[in-house]
Amino acid sequence: MHEISLVRNIFKTLEEAFPGQLGNISNISMRVGLLSNVQPILMQNAFAAVKQDEQDCRASLCIEVLPIIIYCVSCNKNTEVHNFKFFCSCGSPSRKIVQGEELLISRVEFFDSDMTRVRKQEDT
Amino acid sequence: MTPKSNYAPVGSVWCDNTTMNLLKANDYVAKIIREKLKDLLVINLCSSPGSGKTTLMQETSKLLNEKLNMAVLVGDPETERDAIRMKQVGINALQIVTGGMCHIEAQMILQALDHINLDGVDVLIIENVGNLVCPAAFDLGEDFRVTMISSTEGDDKPKKYPRMFLTSELMLVSKADLLPYVPFSINAVTQDARDINADLEVITISSLNGVGLLQWCAWLERKIIEKKQKSFRIN
Repeated sequence: MHEISLVRNIFKTLEEAFPGQLGNISNISMRVGLLSNVQPILMQNAFAAVKQDEQDCRASLCIEVLPIIIYCVSCNKNTEVHNFKFFCSCGSPSRKIVQGEELLISRVEFFDSDMTRVRKQEDT
Repeated sequence: MTPKSNYAPVGSVWCDNTTMNLLKANDYVAKIIREKLKDLLVINLCSSPGSGKTTLMQETSKLLNEKLNMAVLVGDPETERDAIRMKQVGINALQIVTGGMCHIEAQMILQALDHINLDGVDVLIIENVGNLVCPAAFDLGEDFRVTMISSTEGDDKPKKYPRMFLTSELMLVSKADLLPYVPFSINAVTQDARDINADLEVITISSLNGVGLLQWCAWLERKIIEKKQKSFRIN
């Protein structure tokens, strides 16, 4: 759902976190939970479309889809949810979601240009 | 937020998972709304288009009229038809025209609050855009989400739209007057929904013949009292 506006949000978030560095990003990794209703293929299309508006952005996008995992209080353990049955293997219901609602940028990689290498040396 | 650096980043940066949430702008505004409306009950009413949300609002207002004050913010992609329908029966209602958007976002609610008088209001109901997908992802600062499903839609819907039913407190099964004519099982829809959300309360209603409406109003009254007690303790 709303992949275009989500992708715009990615660029906005990255611009805030790394001002002026958008052109330096080589790869963006995302983690999206199964409950976030994000379709990876539509996200990739939206990313390609929005990227055209962002000058000098050469980044690629990797999307990892995460299954739903719930926590069971009685067993004190996590269980993966299959077929949207929010029950532990012991039979108790649980809505304590440990994983599955994510819509996150998990990792940002940068081109290791000469410029940045010099800066890195100065830094150390 | 990841700390800003004067140096260009090199290699890769692992991001703190909780701070780069892509829905954070919406969640931030939702928090402001929750703080602003801490003295009244806020309900986010979601369903498919045409399941009878506006008709239910009209009937609910008649029943609550003597005892409780209710206000409605109603979202639709276009037209002010629903707000007009509600105002005709005396409901304090305001239309949110989303301009084609398929859901209400928290920012729209925050702006609408400047245009509706909530003095003495006990319950604010947000009648969301008819859609069981996108509204599920957007927190509007509500206390509870209520999902309505009509008997003509089919009893297999909860598993198709799991996130909506997962995040709801109550499921209303509407158009109960049509149950004798359609292949819809209350047991099947309840089972399907409780696979996802074992604590989900279920009330069967009909706005046309009045079945279940008193039970629905009693649910609202109970939640209003609980909210007022909570807000009294905090203040």
